[in-house]
Amino acid sequence: MKKKLSEMDYDEKGTVIEIDRDLQKRVAGMGIRVGKKLRMITKQPIKGPVDVIVDEAETSLGLELADRIIVEVD
Amino acid sequence: MKVLLMGHPNVGKSVFFNRLTGANVTESNYPGTTVDYTKGWMKIEGEDVELVDVPGTFSLDPKDKAEDVAVAMLHETKDAKVITVIDASKIERGLYLALEIIEEGYPVVIALNMWDVAWDKNIRIDARNLEKILGVPVVPTTAISGEGIKELVSRLKSAKPVEVDDIIANAGGLT
Repeated sequence: MKKKLSEMDYDEKGTVIEIDRDLQKRVAGMGIRVGKKLRMITKQPIKGPVDVIVDEAETSLGLELADRIIVEVD
Repeated sequence: MKVLLMGHPNVGKSVFFNRLTGANVTESNYPGTTVDYTKGWMKIEGEDVELVDVPGTFSLDPKDKAEDVAVAMLHETKDAKVITVIDASKIERGLYLALEIIEEGYPVVIALNMWDVAWDKNIRIDARNLEKILGVPVVPTTAISGEGIKELVSRLKSAKPVEVDDIIANAGGLT
């Protein structure tokens, strides 16, 4: 099932399938690109960031970024 | 010679810096900002070498003030050699930055730091093969204990600019 990264549930795993073009470079330095597997570990309330695990390492994404990354959940 | 220490935040750049320079260090703000950086001197085979501890950055597309400074420092020292410090347990994103620096034509040496942490996490990296593919020296290090630092320094002189097209060819093309 496809959903936005910001809509993932706790501990849900998925594979990145789409990133807004103008965002691709911005998140590449954080290890996020199409084809990457990730796991959502924390979501902060009140429009706070989304934390994911990519390659065994934690990364925190602002909600406005997480809204524009599409993930195919396992 | 001028050498820049670059890498993500919290990968051990400053530990390298302290190990390499010792006490003779000045700390200053980058003009017009409150982002501070340190520079110091070391000797390699009798030659005085200036070493700069550049603020951590994830990429060369700056997203905040510290990253602005990091990128500006790189761009204003065109003749510098760059030690790119990578957290070996998070190698992919580290390589992204290293490749960006290589792409701009700087002679780069890669320090696969926190080698011990990566080892504990069961992450095994074929540093020799990586070196073959990238064409730049790749040295496993554990800056905290000092492991690999001597080798890293001795390989600085063999750092030279590499064409990204060659790296792509060595890696077997784009997938």
